[in-house]
Amino acid sequence: MLIANRGEIALRVIRACREVGVATVAVYSDADRGALHVLHADEAYRLGPAPAGESYLRGDLILEVARRTGADAVHPGYGFLSENAEFAEACAEAGVTFIGPPAGAMRVLGSKTRARRAADVARMPRVPGSVTGLADVAEAVRVAAGIGYPVMLKAAAGGGGKGMRAVMRAKDMASAFTAASSEAERSFGSGEVYLEKLIERPRHIEIQLMADEHGNCLYLGERECSVQRRHQKVIEEAPSAVVSEDLRRRMGEAAARLALSAGYVNAGTVEFLVDDAENFYFLEMNTRLQVEHPVTEMVTGLDLVHLQLRVAMGEPLPLKQEDVRLRGHAIECRIYAEDPENHFFPSPGLITRLIQPSGPGIREDCAVYEGWNVPLDYDPMLSKLVAFAPTREQAIDRMLRALEEYVIGGIKTNIGLFRRILMDEDFRAARIDTGYLERLLAEGAAPVVEDVPEDVVALAAALAAALFAASARRETVGAPVVSEESRWAVAGRREGLRL
Amino acid sequence: MTVWLEVGGEKRRVELPAEIGGAMECSVDGRPIVADVKVLQAGVLSLVIDGRQYRCVLDGDGVVIGGRRYGFEVVDPRSLQGRRGAGAGADGPRSVKAPMPGRVVRTLVAVGDEVEEGQALIVIEAMKMQNELKSPKTGRVGKIAVDVGDAVGSGDVLVVVE
Repeated sequence: MLIANRGEIALRVIRACREVGVATVAVYSDADRGALHVLHADEAYRLGPAPAGESYLRGDLILEVARRTGADAVHPGYGFLSENAEFAEACAEAGVTFIGPPAGAMRVLGSKTRARRAADVARMPRVPGSVTGLADVAEAVRVAAGIGYPVMLKAAAGGGGKGMRAVMRAKDMASAFTAASSEAERSFGSGEVYLEKLIERPRHIEIQLMADEHGNCLYLGERECSVQRRHQKVIEEAPSAVVSEDLRRRMGEAAARLALSAGYVNAGTVEFLVDDAENFYFLEMNTRLQVEHPVTEMVTGLDLVHLQLRVAMGEPLPLKQEDVRLRGHAIECRIYAEDPENHFFPSPGLITRLIQPSGPGIREDCAVYEGWNVPLDYDPMLSKLVAFAPTREQAIDRMLRALEEYVIGGIKTNIGLFRRILMDEDFRAARIDTGYLERLLAEGAAPVVEDVPEDVVALAAALAAALFAASARRETVGAPVVSEESRWAVAGRREGLRL
Repeated sequence: MTVWLEVGGEKRRVELPAEIGGAMECSVDGRPIVADVKVLQAGVLSLVIDGRQYRCVLDGDGVVIGGRRYGFEVVDPRSLQGRRGAGAGADGPRSVKAPMPGRVVRTLVAVGDEVEEGQALIVIEAMKMQNELKSPKTGRVGKIAVDVGDAVGSGDVLVVVE
């Protein structure tokens, strides 16, 4: 197996391969020679310089490595080439199995406008709006008038919140259309945008699918992904606190129907918006294994990467829908190298300290180590910390316990932000929607819970300074400071967010 | 030994014995504390005070205790007065520095432009994210120190607003 990716997902796939006795080939850029995915693979080959366009996005180089090593299959992970139909086709032409759907199904379901048309054919409710790209601003205004404001402009090829603009009234359409379209062009190489009615305060809930080549498609429960910032998921859970057995079955069956209608094979996810009245609307389909798949693995007891490999080898799925049982509750925190006190600026650099949590019910999919230099060239995700417990409340408390154990030094992380969310009354009561986190952040600092006496803090700081200051200065990389405001002046404000 | 610190915006004077380790008599601003100190590894120590245990991990200019990070700064007692506000005047030129290593994607202003406080000046990209850096004050752009496409390091001056 050649793993055409990096970071924790490459390591995740390598681990699954080793468990089933499949030899692994890693590829790496110049920034990743010392990365953990390289260290864990049986073979490793350089692709090129650090920028993804010269390394992890070079399908030609990756297939050359596959040819040279005799790899039978390529696992694309998520991001990079994972939803690139041309790459999937190139793999097939090279006689290498692409671990994912056939290129044709990827084309139908990966384009948001085509997927919306497929949803209509599969009789699946979707968010009202256009099902083809908008020709110009005039058409956008006409469609918006038909469905009513507010509306959302979205890139047809989009993902990760790029190329999206909320439009509140007609007079804002022209500038929003231009902005969304040019951002989409820059990010995805296609400026095609379409328009949807903006659902107020929706939840983002998605269904995990796994389909084989024999016409079987299982739904493996849902994931609640409403805690987002700038349309990027921050916390995911399985199951959702608001999805009943009946709603789960209806959403699952609709998702599976869509996948089967397009000839989908392997792992995929159908994303929905769900409103207060338990109406669900098709949003889009992700034609890959997703970042947040571990929470599904915890509550189903299945290993999705193992299933991906079996499906790719042409085997039928080893279980039936009635064998899929959900047990317990899992929560995932995406730990990012970013600074919540400083506009969430990325914080690449040297990890000078890493103390990782462990104990009952804790899983961590992580690809960093003490001494690793987090490159600035890629996504800032460091780790996925997952807590699993019998109930949601216990899973939250378990995650809080794990976050208390966790120390990442040398770079800034969002660990402190998770403590704040997990202690928030609304989150604990599952009163969340896709605007929840932005509202929480807008409230400013949380009330500080001082559990360590001030004199103890002062003493610890003095001891640390007296004992270790010299070595710390040597190790520490320059901490980014944007404003010239005193760090102490912001200390009070930051407490709520800070680790 | 005496250590002067700023912690959480407060100045503190901490007295430590010459030899650190085991049960020690210390004081913070004259208040005595008996602490048992065990160094686990460089940068990590365990404090036991009145039976309560604190794991303390040094991280740059902060110490992490019980999952929370407390920033601190060792200060020279002679320079304690008049620190606050130093260099923060609204009158002088203010520079906008790169908050992290990255690449310059766009400049949004030109030298000589009048800008408002909070107005976006320049966009730098790191880790797939484009970040707008904003003007720290209302004034005039005196200098743009970088070109589009330049790689910049953390702390590099990008723009000066006069």
